[in-house]
Amino acid sequence: MTEQFTRREFLQSACITMGALAVSTTGVEKAFAATSTSTPNTSGMPSCDVLIIGSGAAGLRAAVAARKKNPNLSVVVVSKVMPTRSATTMAEGGINGVIDFSEGDSFELHAKDTVKGGDFLVDQDTALKFANYAGAAIHELDYIGMPFSRDSKGNVDKRYAGGASKIRCNFASDKTGHILTHTCLDDALKHGVKFLMDHHMLDLSIENGHCEGVVLRNIRTGDIAPVRAKSVVLATGGYTRVFWNRTSTPYIATGDGAAAALRAGLIFKDPEMLQFHPTGVCHGGTLITEAARGEGGILLNNLGERFMKRYVPNKMELAPRDIVARSIETEIREGRAFGHDMEAYVLLDVTHLGKEKIMRNLPQIRHIGLLFENMDLVEKPIAIRPTAHYSMGGIHVTSIDTMATPAPGLFAAGEASCVSIHGANRLGGNSLCDATVTGKIAGINAAEYAAKADFGAGKRLNDLTLKWTSHFKEITGSGKGNVNDMYALREELGAANWYNMGIFRTESKLLALADKHAEFQARYDAIRIPNTNPVFNTAYTEYVELGNLLLASRAALMGATARKESRGSHFREDYLKRDDENFLKHSMVTMDESGKMHLDWKDVVVGQFKIEERKY
Amino acid sequence: MKFIIDRFDGKKNYQQTYTVEKKDIEALTLLGTLLFIKQHLDLTLNFTASCRMAICGACGVRVNGHSYLACDTKMTELFEEYKDADTFRISPLSNYTVISDLAVDWEPAIENLRKVKPGLVAKDKFSEKEGCVQNQEEYDRIVGQWDCILCGVCASECNKLSADRSDYMEPFVYTHAWKVANDSRTKDPMIHVKPSVANGLWNCVHCHECTNRCPKHISAADDIAGLRALAMKKGLNSGVGPAHAKSFYTDLVEDSGRLNEIRLALRTEGVSTVLRAGTAVTLMSAGKMNPLEIFGGHEIEGHKDLVKMIEAAHAAHKE
Repeated sequence: MTEQFTRREFLQSACITMGALAVSTTGVEKAFAATSTSTPNTSGMPSCDVLIIGSGAAGLRAAVAARKKNPNLSVVVVSKVMPTRSATTMAEGGINGVIDFSEGDSFELHAKDTVKGGDFLVDQDTALKFANYAGAAIHELDYIGMPFSRDSKGNVDKRYAGGASKIRCNFASDKTGHILTHTCLDDALKHGVKFLMDHHMLDLSIENGHCEGVVLRNIRTGDIAPVRAKSVVLATGGYTRVFWNRTSTPYIATGDGAAAALRAGLIFKDPEMLQFHPTGVCHGGTLITEAARGEGGILLNNLGERFMKRYVPNKMELAPRDIVARSIETEIREGRAFGHDMEAYVLLDVTHLGKEKIMRNLPQIRHIGLLFENMDLVEKPIAIRPTAHYSMGGIHVTSIDTMATPAPGLFAAGEASCVSIHGANRLGGNSLCDATVTGKIAGINAAEYAAKADFGAGKRLNDLTLKWTSHFKEITGSGKGNVNDMYALREELGAANWYNMGIFRTESKLLALADKHAEFQARYDAIRIPNTNPVFNTAYTEYVELGNLLLASRAALMGATARKESRGSHFREDYLKRDDENFLKHSMVTMDESGKMHLDWKDVVVGQFKIEERKY
Repeated sequence: MKFIIDRFDGKKNYQQTYTVEKKDIEALTLLGTLLFIKQHLDLTLNFTASCRMAICGACGVRVNGHSYLACDTKMTELFEEYKDADTFRISPLSNYTVISDLAVDWEPAIENLRKVKPGLVAKDKFSEKEGCVQNQEEYDRIVGQWDCILCGVCASECNKLSADRSDYMEPFVYTHAWKVANDSRTKDPMIHVKPSVANGLWNCVHCHECTNRCPKHISAADDIAGLRALAMKKGLNSGVGPAHAKSFYTDLVEDSGRLNEIRLALRTEGVSTVLRAGTAVTLMSAGKMNPLEIFGGHEIEGHKDLVKMIEAAHAAHKE
């Protein structure tokens, strides 16, 4: 009884039905009750002012910012899981942001490193503003309770991160992301943010150019319902799961937001820009953080050579990620690695740091070494190879001042968004501040928008809900299908993307992948899930996620094929040079109603930082 | 080998047995095994998982009645722990409402977390613009509790929650309250202590099971003790719980040094102890309790040294 009361009370407070609809609070319950019999409610949909999809750092910061901006608004965070299960928790190294100016560091230098690291695909005005906000964000996080590691004066401690000209990567041991997420959750609870857990956003509705809400599936009950919102913030994370088993991100980060945005007619910007992190554990792709190199870890090939001296002699292991990742893959291709094929690896050695330092500053990665490779990195170097890590591309956002998409009422933040802070390659330590900074801006602006806006009519939202309700029936209805179909396809998609659209790309590989994608799509459409139970049907959730990954793969492939140059993480062996004349531009992928994708370009905003060759 | 999994489809509970080859799973973690079963044998099996690297806390389950974080448990460890048993029983975390199979409802736990106001309210001397200052010692004092990943293992093992969930919260909730109350940056620890006291702080039964199985080696039991000590120090010392604690102290220092259970009950609950007369009679007839001890017992050997040690500890704490 206690639980039932809590749930009802929660739903009442979470989803406040607005006067515009003239539906009382009991109407909210009716709306959810009605959908439980699979007849979508048309008279009164549940609704709230600001709806945030995703509960990583970006989503949580957006929620708090919206609450602080306007405490009268109802703010609800929707998550497939419980908050704190997000990719943000997995970030280890640290969070960039200049707070110490004594050694000559400045916001401008942070922006400059970011622009250069991103191989000049970064919008420079954005990078400058971002660096400013990032500095402020560190103090704010400290103030709301984040326990940063401390220097001898009791101030926030910092370490080196790849591609940075100064030491500005602030950290909390090697669990910075975990600690940041929990700080943000605590702060969200403090500010009265409500959560709808175990709810999956299936689609986003744009009607007459305005965002009018989302279709949610309550995973616990299987109910599929429309939820209207005055503004929506998409903070659904990245899509590197397109490489399925070769990524460091969690199982749940499947690009649901980007895919929904594509289906709704919005723009997916720079989708081909997928970052490969140099040091994933050999089995399963989990990350050995850059902090290992920041603390002084070195990379060795099978000759015992510190091979980075061949590629970036003055930065060695601390060169930007794309360069280190390519260097390792080159060692592997040229036979200077251990093992063969997918099992090939090089070594990362931190043993010389000594047990005490490893235990104090790198305990989490030592644990990962033990868990996945049975190796204690206090005693022995660990086997690593690159792994897909971050999506620089994402839902097109028009300005970092608002984090608004071109559709009024719709905002995006964090890895799901692309306002082009990271360009073609993200620097280590810039992801956590991206999530924190852009989340907050999106939240403030979503609240501002919601305070003035009216609800949309909800007609299209209703149609989409009907579509998804029958989709569930169709996919699971017969109860037939092979248990392996979906999971085998997911693995194959990951491997095909890795081989053909991975660290080294060529025209012929990309064209071959296009055929593969067509074949995969056909197979996907034929899959049926042998589970008719609507209650917590995770197989259906995974089916929807796989569809989203296929969509993201196709968009990434479109960008990768058209971008006939090498820039940042996008490396074309048939076009080795960066081509600023033709490609100092963002790729803008959209999809029409028939499912056909289109590509357009948008010029990069160049400012005070001169476009030059990227040398380290 | 066999895995018997406790299942719930939203309506009925049942068990299902899955047979797998040992060679297919022995290099895996427990989460790897669950994924193997789902992806090769039965996709209707439901559980939750996300990061697979022991940091997100999504995959807590029980094996043979004990709670584990599935991604943080290698199958070889389980083989060793259960002496190469060829059958394992996998169940959802205890003390949570099961939604489906191994997936449980976290919503009530998050609402409990909300009660202790886990967000830091910083001292007035700190600001959002300049942040805070904290020395290494103050940082070390709280950083252990920050390892909590909200996996629920402690709550699953909690005997108090199993006995009665209505007047107690998940052990990690108290850990969260303690980590913020004990933070040198906090303006007022009582923001977090008071709701902890109001929501069952004194009801912990000291079984230490939460501590024994925490995958991050956090002692929620110690955190509860810390909160209790802080509560009493700040004057929240009326009621059964504090009286109970004080009675222990009186026995150890002022009396014989031996816990006097009769006096403990009287001092803790006062005259209402009479309601426990039945239990007392049972204990006495079983020879577990000596009624004459109401007048005090024999002083234990080395009692004076014990008192000295306690006094030294007091003095050290004051410094």
